[in-house]
Amino acid sequence: MIIARAPLRISFVGGGTDLADFYTKNPGKVLSAAINKYVYVTVARTPFKQISVRYSIGEIVKHPSELKNDRVREALLDANITEGIEISTFSHLPGQTGLGSSSAFSVALVKALTALAGNHASAEVCAEGACWLEIERVGDPIGKQDQYASAFGGMNVFEFQSDHSVRIEPVHLDFKRRLDFENHLLLFFTGVTRKASSVLTEQRKNISDSAHFDTLKAMADSVDPFKQVLMEGNFKKAGELLHEGWQRKRTLASGVSNPSLDALYKTALGEGAWGGKVLGAGGGGCLLFVAPPERHERINHSLRVTATKHALHDASVIPFSFVHSGVELVVNTKE
Amino acid sequence: MQDFIKEFSESSITALRNVSAQEIEKAFHILQATYERGGRIYVFGNGGSLALATHFVADLNKTVFSYHLEKHHKRFQAIRLPSTESELTAWANDIGYDMVFAGPLQNYLEDKDVIIAISSSGNSPNVIKALEIAKARHVPIIGMSGFDGGKLNELSDAKILVPTPKGEYEVVEGVHAIILHMIVKYFKNAFNYMVEIGKIE
Repeated sequence: MIIARAPLRISFVGGGTDLADFYTKNPGKVLSAAINKYVYVTVARTPFKQISVRYSIGEIVKHPSELKNDRVREALLDANITEGIEISTFSHLPGQTGLGSSSAFSVALVKALTALAGNHASAEVCAEGACWLEIERVGDPIGKQDQYASAFGGMNVFEFQSDHSVRIEPVHLDFKRRLDFENHLLLFFTGVTRKASSVLTEQRKNISDSAHFDTLKAMADSVDPFKQVLMEGNFKKAGELLHEGWQRKRTLASGVSNPSLDALYKTALGEGAWGGKVLGAGGGGCLLFVAPPERHERINHSLRVTATKHALHDASVIPFSFVHSGVELVVNTKE
Repeated sequence: MQDFIKEFSESSITALRNVSAQEIEKAFHILQATYERGGRIYVFGNGGSLALATHFVADLNKTVFSYHLEKHHKRFQAIRLPSTESELTAWANDIGYDMVFAGPLQNYLEDKDVIIAISSSGNSPNVIKALEIAKARHVPIIGMSGFDGGKLNELSDAKILVPTPKGEYEVVEGVHAIILHMIVKYFKNAFNYMVEIGKIE
């Protein structure tokens, strides 16, 4: 049996510039960090003909082509595994929260299936394999940053080149900067899940529009200044840069924000947050704020009040830490 | 006599300055990741380097957490190889000296672990033999070498090379001790800070 796990990620700046429609014309750049919330994928061969896949639902089929789970279906077809396999997944957080869980799933799946074949998949192979699976095989209109963030772990700047290659530059914060930064961050789940592809399809269409293109360019350009203020420990400035990025991102597609998200965002800033953003493609999921640690309790309280007003009853703060490991095998045995 | 003292001090200082800070940074990163995923740290080397390994294992396992020892339930799991003299002599006598690290390592090594190999020449056959096992499992290697780095430096993910003329064992081993203590101090401060700001309660 094989168990692989891959971390979720928080994307700070540059999201959207990892779409091929953009980075083939202008280099894309993002800064993101893996967190201690994981997607686990378990894979085992069975002596039976059937294929069993368990996630939010359970599927038992005779041939992988019958699977509804598009990632598992395409991965099995590609690996030419047509019978006798059981795959299941477990996750610390629900999907569609803007933390890159669907790509983390693909990354862990690639790692696990490669191990099942007796081979080793490096972080890069897992990242590229997951990109290929999701973008080429499944045809999702998504970018490449989540797969890379999850496969490599740690905090990194990813640069997406026009030849589709990806340059990885780790951001080595010392322990004090890293822990202080963590302590300034507040991750708030709205309780609303949404499919990234619905927002991203519109966003992708808009890239050809020159105003949108320039906005994305400004977002890619904001990565280096953001990295600089992090290295300096200037978290107030980091918050302000996130705020600027969020203002830009809102303009990319109509579904990125909505009245509830705007109300929550305004609430946090009103209680002293320096800035923030909606994580992932937008439209729901998680909000991230940078705020003085002593303000967190107050912000949290007010966010809950606003959430209740907007009937967001599952909203809550998610405590987290950054992690330095990316995708890994937790169990790898023949039995 | 003072000339000798000055000269030795100067070459040690120069050698320390010439160690890549970036590579030490990578080592911090690798060790932090290993701690987070609950992996083990295997440390080994020959002669004086084995003594350094023994010293470092004690510091990593205990000294690093000494500010709040009782609060750190999760600690580094560092193991010096071989961990007993019996294993050392059994492998050396029965199989051959080149197996004294690789032999015991084979018993333990898992994907989530890390290797710290210490060799001034970077070419000790028994050290290289153990690295081959680590490489085959794609386990990260922190290599502490001297002179021109040898094979150890080539095979390492974090290449902590103390560049000196060939044969300067005293300088290399001295600088290795400083870097190992630098690692100890860094994590000692880090784990202390985690308690201070309430990350570990």
